[in-house]
This record gives sequence, C-alpha cells and structure tokens, in this order.
Amino acid sequence: MFDLLTAYIREGRIHLDKTRFRDILATYHDPCNYGRKAERIFGHGFYDEPRWILSQCMENWVDVYPTRDSQYCCGGGGGALTTGYNAERIFYGRKKMDQIRATGASMVVVPCHSCHGQLNAIKAEYGMADLVVKYLWELVADCLIMNR
Amino acid sequence: MTSPESISMNDLNAARFQSWPFDQNHCLTCAMCSSSCPVSGIDGFDPRKIIRMVSMGLEHPLIESRWPWICTMCGKCEHVCPSGVHIPDVIRNIRSLRDREKVPGILHKGLAAALKTGNNLGLPKDDFIFILEDVADEIAQEPGFEGFSVPIDKKDANILTTIHNKLVNTHTEDLKHWWKIFYAAEESWTIPSENWEGTNWGMFTGDDPAMKVMVGRIADNMARLDAKNLLWPE
Repeated sequence: MFDLLTAYIREGRIHLDKTRFRDILATYHDPCNYGRKAERIFGHGFYDEPRWILSQCMENWVDVYPTRDSQYCCGGGGGALTTGYNAERIFYGRKKMDQIRATGASMVVVPCHSCHGQLNAIKAEYGMADLVVKYLWELVADCLIMNR
Repeated sequence: MTSPESISMNDLNAARFQSWPFDQNHCLTCAMCSSSCPVSGIDGFDPRKIIRMVSMGLEHPLIESRWPWICTMCGKCEHVCPSGVHIPDVIRNIRSLRDREKVPGILHKGLAAALKTGNNLGLPKDDFIFILEDVADEIAQEPGFEGFSVPIDKKDANILTTIHNKLVNTHTEDLKHWWKIFYAAEESWTIPSENWEGTNWGMFTGDDPAMKVMVGRIADNMARLDAKNLLWPE
C-alpha cells in the first residue's frame, strides 16, 4: 500500500496539491501492524514510507512522542473494537490521545482501518471532538490535482 | 478476572504449554512488559502474570479470563522484553482455546457469517454490486472524475483490491479515496464480486483454519481473474 502510493507519486502518475491543507497542523499515528509487527515478521517496519507520503501532501505536520517502534497502540487493534469491552478500550486509548493533544495538531493521519475507527470513536471522550481523523490514502485523494 | 486468593494445585500443569514455541519459560519476571502495557491494571491484568500462568500451565483460569481479550496484541511488551518472549503470540493462542460460542462480542459471529457467505455482513452479491455502482455514480459527478466507473470482476487487472465490510455498510464515503487515486493514476484495477472481505477475524480469535479459508478465497479470486498484484489495505 505504501509502496504503491510512493510509486504513483515518484513516477508522476498522480500529482498532489501541497497547499490544500497548509493552514492545518497534522500528526501521524504508527499502527502496530505496519510498524512493530511488520518489523518482527517481515524484517521491515513501515515508518519512513508513510511519513514521506505525508510530506508530499502537506508540509505542516509533526510527530507524536514516542513514535515508530516505541509508539503507543490506539487501543482499537486485535479485535478490541468488536469484543464489547468498550470501557476498557476507551481507557486503553488515553495515552494515544495524550500524545496527540501534546502536538497541538487538529488532524491525525492513519493508514489503518482499526486505528481510524478507534480514534474517531474515542476522541470526544477525551475532549477532542473536533480532531479530524484521516486515512493516509484519503489525504492523498483529497490532495489530487485533476485535469492538469 | 480478579486475581484468585489461592490456586488449586490441581490446576498446575507445567507440561501443558511446553510445546508452545514462544520462549515463555525464559521470562525473567522483570515486568518491563507490565510497565509498557497501556492496560496493565485493568482487572489486575498484567502481561507478566499471563506469561507466568502459561509457564505453570494454568489452563482454565487463562481461558476463562477476559485478560487476553482486553489486550490488543500491540506488541509493545514483546518489543521491550529482554528475553524475547513472544507475548502477543501467547495471547492469541490463549484466545484460540476458548469455546467458540464464548468468544466475546461479535468477533466469532462475524467470522461465522464470513465463512458462510463470503463477508462478515452476510451481504448478498447483488446488494454489494448495487452499493459499489451507486458510489461510483457519485464519483462520476465530481469535477475531474467524469466517466468514472467501478471495474467489478475485470480480468487481467494489475491490482485486485479487497474491501473492508464497514465501507459497504456505514462508511461508503470511504470507498472513494482509493478509487479516485486509481482513476488519477490510470491504474488497471478490479474488485471481486464475491469473497471480497478484507478483514479476517480469525486473526483476532486465534482461529487458524478459518483464517486459512479467508486467505484462500482471496488467492482464488487472484487466480480466477488473473490479477497481478493484491492490494489488501485491511
């Protein structure tokens, strides 16, 4: 998925408007499966690729801390969105929400369906109802320049 | 589960999980895992305790506990473990031992529906195609995407993509992002009309045979349509 988007951009098959979100500060969340899990199972964690793609869409973004292989899980993985243990799941996400809040970002970009669902589901619980949770590929689609 | 006051000696069976290849017996009880885990403390949950219970073969307390289901198998514990204990794999294998009817929430029900119908929702093929074409019509009305259509069951495509069930249920707007990118890149792509489900809840319930069936169906779609690459964003 990252490789495909990277190829589209590098080969000039898609063109992106970096000014579209110039007034927005964003941050990025590393999903466990593309990071730690991929690193262990496939020998490569996808940390740099999504950040490069993000940088092709916008210049104004900052990382949370800690990140990459030391990141905190959003709390929505491993089927947690569907077990019915909702109070526990919301509690789980507190560290991630603290991280996002500390960046001052109004948008968090994620490349994972579970993380996207979890962050959207819990943001109001942590007083961040206005936080925009955006798929990485949604950001790319939003920045597409058509009819060149 | 609350921590029991005492453990019956009859429950101790150090041989029970000896065959598990997750280095669980190399645990140093240092508690790095416990300190790293965002849900340590809920109901007394603690990854170190789980690893010790596995070493002691406390099968029934482990299976009945909701601890393995509160954990998201995020791997932070494993990442900091100085002994390389594969804690998320241990968790998943404990999950696999639970009676399928007692798997919490909708996990097993969704998986059972997927095995029976090809997707977690039990969505019929005609309804699926209707939703895809409806969303495609909406895209075609946006400036720059004139003439857009969704290629269902197209042979020899460069990319075959799976679909997350929520995108044909409550989040149809989110179908559009990849489709627009494909259109802009002039990609050759397709979506299979059957067995399109991208989630694989056997991964979460520890059900390897079910997982294999779901993956096999995607492989079958690749072969049936002679697709060159698979995009599996789930």
